[in-house]
Amino acid sequence: MDIIVCVKHVPETAEADVAIAEDGKSIKTTELVYDINEWDDYAAEEAVLLRDKLGGSVTAITVGSEEADSTLRKCLARGADRAIRLTDEAFEGSDSYVTAKILSKVIKNLPFDLILTGAQASDDGCAQVGVVLAELLGIPHATMVKKLEPKDGIVKVNQELEGGLEEIMELKLPAMLAIQTGINEPRYISIMGIRKAMKKELKVLGLKDIGLTEEEVGESGSWIIVEKMFVPSVEKEAEILTGGVDEIATKITETLKTRGLI
Amino acid sequence: MDFNLTEEQRAIKKAAREFSEKELTPELAVEFDQREEFPFELYKKAAKLGFTSMRFPEKYGGQGYGVLEDCLVTEEMCRVDPGLGVAVMLGTLMFPDGLLMFGTEEQKQRYIPPLCTGEKICAAAFSEPAHGSDITRMDTTAKKHGAEWILSGNKEFITNAPVADFFCVLCQTDTEVSPSHKGESLFAVEKGTPGLEVTKLQGKMGIKPCVTGSLALSDAAIPEANLIGELNKGFYYALDLFNGTRIAVAAEAVGMAQGAFERALRYSKERKQFGSPIIQFQGVSFKLAEMAIKIETARLITYKAAWLYDQGKMDPMTTAMAKAYASKVAMDVTDQAIQIHGGYGYLAEYHVERFHRCAKITEIYEGTTEIQKLTISRYLLKRILA
Amino acid sequence: MKELLVLAEHRQGDLRDITFEMLTKGRELSQALNADLTVLLLGHNVKGIAKKLTDRAKRVLVVDDERLRNFNAEGYQRVLSHLLSERKPLLTLVGHTAFGVDLAPSLAAELDIPLATDCINLGFEGEKLVVFRQVYEGKVNVRASLRKSESYIVTLRPATFEIEEVKPLGGEIVEIPSPPSLSDDMSYKRFIEYYQPPAGDVDITAADIIVAVGRGIRDVENVPVVEKLAKAFGGVLACSRPIVDKGWLPSDRQVGASGKTVKPKLYLAVGISGQFQHISGMRSSDLIIAINKDSKAPIFRTADYGVVEDLFKVVPALTDRILEEKG
Ligand SMILES: Cc1cc2nc3c(=O)[nH]c(=O)nc-3n(C[C@H](O)[C@H](O)[C@H](O)COP(=O)(O)OP(=O)(O)OC[C@H]3O[C@@H](n4cnc5c(N)ncnc54)[C@H](O)[C@@H]3O)c2cc1C
Ligand SMILES: Cc1cc2nc3c(=O)[nH]c(=O)nc-3n(C[C@H](O)[C@H](O)[C@H](O)COP(=O)(O)OP(=O)(O)OC[C@H]3O[C@@H](n4cnc5c(N)ncnc54)[C@H](O)[C@@H]3O)c2cc1C
Repeated sequence: MDIIVCVKHVPETAEADVAIAEDGKSIKTTELVYDINEWDDYAAEEAVLLRDKLGGSVTAITVGSEEADSTLRKCLARGADRAIRLTDEAFEGSDSYVTAKILSKVIKNLPFDLILTGAQASDDGCAQVGVVLAELLGIPHATMVKKLEPKDGIVKVNQELEGGLEEIMELKLPAMLAIQTGINEPRYISIMGIRKAMKKELKVLGLKDIGLTEEEVGESGSWIIVEKMFVPSVEKEAEILTGGVDEIATKITETLKTRGLI
Repeated sequence: MDFNLTEEQRAIKKAAREFSEKELTPELAVEFDQREEFPFELYKKAAKLGFTSMRFPEKYGGQGYGVLEDCLVTEEMCRVDPGLGVAVMLGTLMFPDGLLMFGTEEQKQRYIPPLCTGEKICAAAFSEPAHGSDITRMDTTAKKHGAEWILSGNKEFITNAPVADFFCVLCQTDTEVSPSHKGESLFAVEKGTPGLEVTKLQGKMGIKPCVTGSLALSDAAIPEANLIGELNKGFYYALDLFNGTRIAVAAEAVGMAQGAFERALRYSKERKQFGSPIIQFQGVSFKLAEMAIKIETARLITYKAAWLYDQGKMDPMTTAMAKAYASKVAMDVTDQAIQIHGGYGYLAEYHVERFHRCAKITEIYEGTTEIQKLTISRYLLKRILA
Repeated sequence: MKELLVLAEHRQGDLRDITFEMLTKGRELSQALNADLTVLLLGHNVKGIAKKLTDRAKRVLVVDDERLRNFNAEGYQRVLSHLLSERKPLLTLVGHTAFGVDLAPSLAAELDIPLATDCINLGFEGEKLVVFRQVYEGKVNVRASLRKSESYIVTLRPATFEIEEVKPLGGEIVEIPSPPSLSDDMSYKRFIEYYQPPAGDVDITAADIIVAVGRGIRDVENVPVVEKLAKAFGGVLACSRPIVDKGWLPSDRQVGASGKTVKPKLYLAVGISGQFQHISGMRSSDLIIAINKDSKAPIFRTADYGVVEDLFKVVPALTDRILEEKG
């Protein structure tokens, strides 16, 4: 089974201070730590687990600048066989649609049975790339995949719906599956893995190599263009309880008492 | 000249950071700091991922990297927790290095692979009750008896002694020769050897999960083949070995300083007094600036010492400078980190006091700061006279 | 006249809330644009549902087909691409739900209609469609515009728009036949069955007091710290998704879009950042208190009271205080 896994290099923002950059259209990134998108981490792990079980190969692909190599190396260290990075100045300002277009141009020339992506990226939260990619390649897709079993040209998947309900589907291979967290337990990157990763192929391709014009990528090829980023105004803000830990505990207790909750 | 880590080194650092941050949790750190026990499970996990065998060749199950990559891992682990970090990274302390430099192929094959996998732990026994900084004479003796060596004497302050499977032991093999250091030899001793007794030492100031103990050898018989390298070369071997491990201690110190610094920086932005975060007071922000300067310079000299070592240009003076300086920085920075935390810094639950207690060891083991200065001044003396 | 389409979402015989939420926004937009608001309903034997929708829209288009019985992005896409090409609605609204995420991007790509997903607001400024979205884990908002086009698709974030009380409009139901393309080979993706993971021993939806733990807890071994607090309150322990993903708590304890929706008297969120998928499952709680060390965590935009502190300090102190109070 030949598997392609699409991954994204994103800043970790859950616990970091996030500030808007000078251009007003992006965030300040210098102090942020970047890593593989959480959902993609599960997708990459799933790809390697499948390959180990069924044989074949795993190719990790990203659209990104040179820094994104570390995310590709991480995939290689986890067990992917080769990696491709797609980069070009012209890609600047691309949205998810263009990202999918770029990926499709490269992937269509590769042999594959399965494409895995994360269900969404933690930075833009668009949840589009995988599904658009599937459409551009003319293959079936499923999103929020929590379980998958490929067999005889078909893959059976559990697709997560709201409220914990799941939907079991069958798709003809080749297919694209967008992976939801919790499908596996991504392993730690080992030193042995890094050692091997450095010897594996990491190909870098640009606009010319993939057969798209400048108009088809970047802002001009995009559906959506960012005009402004800003820290959300707070319609409602919690009343912050301050003081020492014991003081806070007392304040909470008093509040709950007046409401008859204790 | 290039101050950047390579892509591979950055990947190593990142992997070590990810592992440390997820596994060396503050709760585990406090627990083992209280229990004073070796974290076996953590050690095995780290070993399986290759973190504890960075500098050993692939041929013996190691990762085939150098001292610099080893330092990167040590630094990351000690940054997250100094006690657990040191415990994990010292599980494969010195013994494999000794075998790699001076041992026979059989010795390497026998001892190094199970250390790399984390099944085994080793120790290096030089210090004695009466000989610490000065190991030019050993009271522990090894006498040839047929095809065996018979070892007798006491070793004190031996890292991992209570949990180690293999020991390398420095003994006096020629008690007559003058100077006496020309009569010392290094031996491989296995746990369970009749006549070998181990006692655990309790009540250390810091690095408590990195257990320490003493050895009592009473007519412990080991095979002839357990002599490491040549007879009566042990003292010189020890010096060579220290030149590697001292760099690792410097890396421990840099990591500890970095960890305490980050905690202090975070706290100084959160803690408000007189209506503003305390980092707004120059008295605090200048402290942080000085801490940052110290850490950066300590890291640079540590990497330089490691780089020289890996280039085959090991320089005892740079190594001694790195160890002396980084350990001093660790003490200063962890001290200031407590100061920035005020009264809270004095409490275990704010963790910086543990960093400070742990940092102290870096000024002591693998040659005290004074001994490093002795080395440096000897070189200086030579340089002036030349 | 311009048309604004809302794609109704339903499952197992019931309309989903998102449908009504989209209609709230849809109605507002259609008034501003002076456009027709049409609901599009695909399914099989959906008369009852269609009837309900006539309360809220003047026109309900129904495509009733055995092959549309269960949601299948492929079948839906064939019908929709046909309808959208034919009717050229100015805007089609779809829910940013498991259903919408599976459907909207491929539909948009097939027709090359500009798409914006997971929007929390939108409006036309002249010809320009402007949308608002959240990025970087809820810490930053984006204002973005879509490429000029005669048609747009937007997916709306669930639980963002209110469900309006309405006077029934008594709209008309228009049945339209399924397009021929629906008969084409459909074996690419096939629905087999729904699967409801077995219920556990605790029903968090029935609890008056919920203490929920998030990734801030760092390690499974620390979960008891928060569990003790839940016990002290006489409440139940619930959690955010990563806790279930890691296997630290069973899935029936998860609160949020893909977990349970709860409305307790007290919801105490501990070490939870407050992503919308979590918020949508607890926002209707009577009283919400959040403990998080990051003062910028989005959870503080939903909570009534907040504590910006290390949970490992606050939670034990609070537990002791509560136990003391209870004697
Ligand atoms: C936790 C811990 C773990 C250890 N692990 C190991 C281990 O695994 N293996 C091992 O062999 N040893 C180990 N040691 C021992 C350690 O290496 C020695 O403690 C150290 O070398 C100092 O020796 P000493 O304690 O005998 O002090 P001393 O040598 O008695 O020194 C006392 C003081 O005198 C100073 N001093 C001594 N000589 C001079 C001089 N010439 N000029 C100026 N000042 C001088 C010293 O710097 C020190 O300040 C460990 C020690 C500790 C505390
Ligand atoms: C389709 C889909 C469905 C989803 N469904 C759900 C769902 O049903 N429920 C759900 O919860 N999520 C759901 N998610 C996931 C959601 O997007 C978030 O990833 C998740 O809610 C984050 O959980 P968290 O807040 O616990 O973790 P994080 O976002 O990592 O936040 C952890 C928080 O803990 C704080 N913290 C850390 N240490 C401490 C400390 N010592 N003291 C105090 N605070 C601390 C941090 O500041 C941070 O704010 C879904 C995602 C998708 C794509």
